Amino acid sequence: FTPLRGGLSGGLSQPAGWQSLLSFTILFLAWLAGFSARLFAVIRFESIIHEFDPWFNYRATHHLTTNGFYEFLNWFDERAWYPLGRIVGGTVYPGLMVTAGLIHYVLNLLHVTVHIRDVCVFLAPVFSGLTSISTFLLTKELWNQGAGLMAACFIAIVPGYISRSVAGSFDNEGIAIFALQFTYYLWVKSVKTGSVFWSIGCCLSYFYMVSAWGGYVFIINLIPLHVFVLLLMQRFSKRVYIAYSTFYIIGLVLSMQIPFVGFQPIRTSEHMAAAGVFVLLQVYAFLQYLKDRLTKQEFQTLFFLGVSLAAGAVFLSVIYLTYTGRSSYAKIHIPIIASVSEHQPTTWVSFFFDLHILVCTFPAGLWFCIKNINDERVFVALYAISAVYFAGVMVRLMLTLTPVVCMLSAVAFSSVFEHYLGDDMKRQSPPLEDSSDEDDRKNAVTMLMLMLLMMFAVHCTWVTSNAYSSPSVVLASYNNDGSRNILDDFREAYYWLRQNTDEHARVMSWWDYGYQIAGMANRTTLVDNNTWNNSHIALVGKAMSSNETAAYDIMRSLDVDYVLIIFGGVIGYSGDDINKFLWMVRISPSVASQPQESDYFTPQGEFRVDKAGSPTLLNCLMYKMSYYRFGEMQLDFRTPPGFDRTRNAEIGNKDIKLKHLEEAFTSEHWLVRIYKVKKPENRDRVEHKLRGADTTKQKYTSKKVSGGAEASSEGVFIQERTQLDGT
Amino acid sequence: MFGKLFISLFLLFIFHNDPADTQKKKETLMSEKVTQMMEWTSKRSVIRMNGDKFRRFVKAPPRNYSVVIMFTALQPQRQCGVCKQADEEFQVLANSWRYSSAFTNKVFFATVDFDEGSDVFQMLSMNSAPTFLHFPAKGKPRKTDTYELQVRGFAAEQLARWVADRTDVQIRIIRPPNYAGPLLLGFLLAVIGGLAYLRRHNLEFLFNKNVWAFSALCFVLIMTSGQMWNHIRGPPYAHKNPSTGQVSYIHGSSQAQFVAETHIVLLFNAAVTMGMVLLCEAATSDLDIGKRKIMCVAGIGLVMLFFSWLLSVFRAKYHGYPYSFLMS
Repeated sequence: FTPLRGGLSGGLSQPAGWQSLLSFTILFLAWLAGFSARLFAVIRFESIIHEFDPWFNYRATHHLTTNGFYEFLNWFDERAWYPLGRIVGGTVYPGLMVTAGLIHYVLNLLHVTVHIRDVCVFLAPVFSGLTSISTFLLTKELWNQGAGLMAACFIAIVPGYISRSVAGSFDNEGIAIFALQFTYYLWVKSVKTGSVFWSIGCCLSYFYMVSAWGGYVFIINLIPLHVFVLLLMQRFSKRVYIAYSTFYIIGLVLSMQIPFVGFQPIRTSEHMAAAGVFVLLQVYAFLQYLKDRLTKQEFQTLFFLGVSLAAGAVFLSVIYLTYTGRSSYAKIHIPIIASVSEHQPTTWVSFFFDLHILVCTFPAGLWFCIKNINDERVFVALYAISAVYFAGVMVRLMLTLTPVVCMLSAVAFSSVFEHYLGDDMKRQSPPLEDSSDEDDRKNAVTMLMLMLLMMFAVHCTWVTSNAYSSPSVVLASYNNDGSRNILDDFREAYYWLRQNTDEHARVMSWWDYGYQIAGMANRTTLVDNNTWNNSHIALVGKAMSSNETAAYDIMRSLDVDYVLIIFGGVIGYSGDDINKFLWMVRISPSVASQPQESDYFTPQGEFRVDKAGSPTLLNCLMYKMSYYRFGEMQLDFRTPPGFDRTRNAEIGNKDIKLKHLEEAFTSEHWLVRIYKVKKPENRDRVEHKLRGADTTKQKYTSKKVSGGAEASSEGVFIQERTQLDGT
Repeated sequence: MFGKLFISLFLLFIFHNDPADTQKKKETLMSEKVTQMMEWTSKRSVIRMNGDKFRRFVKAPPRNYSVVIMFTALQPQRQCGVCKQADEEFQVLANSWRYSSAFTNKVFFATVDFDEGSDVFQMLSMNSAPTFLHFPAKGKPRKTDTYELQVRGFAAEQLARWVADRTDVQIRIIRPPNYAGPLLLGFLLAVIGGLAYLRRHNLEFLFNKNVWAFSALCFVLIMTSGQMWNHIRGPPYAHKNPSTGQVSYIHGSSQAQFVAETHIVLLFNAAVTMGMVLLCEAATSDLDIGKRKIMCVAGIGLVMLFFSWLLSVFRAKYHGYPYSFLMS
């Protein structure tokens, strides 16, 4: 609690030297506290990259450091999305990789030889310190230094931000929040001073943000909104004009330098608000100029009214479009987007879980800001209102809300402490006999507030330790006596793939594991977490949910050598492929002749794996691969053999025989199972005639017209296959 | 001889007359049923049925009309969000049929709610809702008489296509245009415009910081209490346990929430915010010392009480959370 307690005394009016020393110490301690709070995973497990997306970022960074920057920009990754491949250089935000690569390069120049993996693991905790410094600077501009220090301490440990920046979580958001806060600081600074210097700084910071995260759209809409509201409030000034004109032009040009962004800033609707406000600002400034020369002021006011109404209409329509886009998207339920849990709306429990006391107190800060409004407090109010809306719509956008909540809560707490802490704030007017009573009351209030802050710190530590520090690549289970078992099945299996399979072997798995296979096993994958090609994912989903023969056709057409699945039935791991199975069915193309989602349910509409389960489910490839040889296995004496601990059921199909696949590897706790796809037998499948090049094409088209063939609906690859078999 | 003739005549009479009689009876019964159905349909385009009506008008044999039935569970405690949407679409379909020029007594639309006719659900061994079934005029329902909801969705157009397929009755879907949104917007604009016009000599209220601060706070509190989740997911207001009759306002899991619960949380958050503001006001305002003392005590009391209350609600939902304050 050192940083917190230190933050309080920053409000004291000390001599300048003491004050800056104190602020420096507090910021340093906040950095240290934030850094150490994020190390739970490293201490409990090891220095390892977490989860899914970070594995891709790590792999890309590794590519960058080994092959150089230009090679990275031109990188065509033939190991992903087989057989399509992926143009990585043009489809990533390179800021994260370049930052990590640069740090690695500088450290190596100084002969500090660290592995790039360690740089990647510790990047986000280090940047959290920078985030708290930029939050300090921004809050200081908005309110005062005491509030700034408090905000820095809040953001260092608040769970809403820690959730994306623990050690090992090497993801865009880790550095993007720093860039976001720093851009806002420089923007507020440039509005306050009206100097081109600060505006250029703001543009550069914005450029860094654009290179790091798609959330830059938030900045390019919030800053124009700020300018627009300032115009409406008749707070137009030369400072605003200089700041925004510089920011828009240079920021636009800079943001278009990122290959993945390209020409979007002048084409897409979410950037149009910025352009509209830019035009409006020029018109308004021109009218102001005219107003100084002319006398027909009434006419000008009317003209201004018309212009601002038109601009308002444009702005609202843009917002409307964005909003309806979101809501219609929620209605349609694109399965692949709906299947990702972080795209869900937010319950109040998540707000409280991630922000604790701050969620109740930040409206008070907002109240103080609006009551004592000025140019930059307009900005923070707009920031709070827009961020809270987006956080309500989507859980993952809690991340953009967290900084402003910290700032406003800091404002609220520091205004309370300002009045209740310290003797020099005491009024002169109250009579002497009341002063001891008042002191008691002040002390009581201070103590209680400190207690709340202590509870906040404890809550943050608990949440970080329990909810946000699991690498999910390595699992841990606890015995009754408190001792710990490490389940390292994932890495065991990926390492097996790396060592025992051909270098160019193609591994089919559900898309969740694509990045990990590429990163850890270094093998070619069919689909991964990038999810840019829905039909390809659908094809894999189809293979998993078909029966073995149909699946074999699909797998042969995709040149699959190995199939990797996650099975949690032995240890009771709930995130396995059988539990994700319905998404595979939903995403796979639904055509009337093919098995439907309802076919995988019992007639009563239940999803069951035991004897009562639907026969379609009991014979599909995913079921067979998951439970192959599982029927012989008795886990303990209370349950029958073949008892699935995740779904608490005895499996319904114990006698599973595989015809086209053979088991290649099963990890220690059966968490990962790998199957080899057999090559076709020599004497099998020769029903078709020898190739007749002239007739094939004609038959193919006629067949497609007739549409009678069942298999013709299975997608491009299968169509070719059927056509070969049929001719 | 005479007797034989008499018997044969009698037999002839019986054999000749009896079918005609039953036919007649059947026809009167049928026309009675049709009239009854027509009467109901004229009242509401979708007939609400319970177990008795279902057996009499749908299951019992003499029938020359098809019935399309939606089996649903619309009671709020069933928490069936899809049912509500499906019901709207079904109403659109039935209304389009009811008010079309081609309206005949060949097809009727009906609905059976689980809470009114659970025996029907048992009879048909159904346990999922909504389900659309078609009961043809002749013969038993076949497999295709069950609408494939998972595949085709419940848009009224799709339903109409299915009905046309099953009964040869073409229904053109006419959706009543939704005036509610534009009307509401127009009303709001009119109110704002009227207010502005009435106060045109005194537009001070636009510059009143309290109004703006208050509305900003309202918006923020609405969002942080999860109203957006309610808007998208449509949870019930509270849950009433059917066996004990006990009403619970707080959902037991941290993944979901009731509407009542979010209102409670909104109030708690607002109380804590108010406490903080009061604390500051107490220190800065120019009121006399006694009032400031009361404000200060009330402020810290509000913050402490409602925060610890909020914490205890959170603790009840988030199982395994170890900390509490003042109340457990």
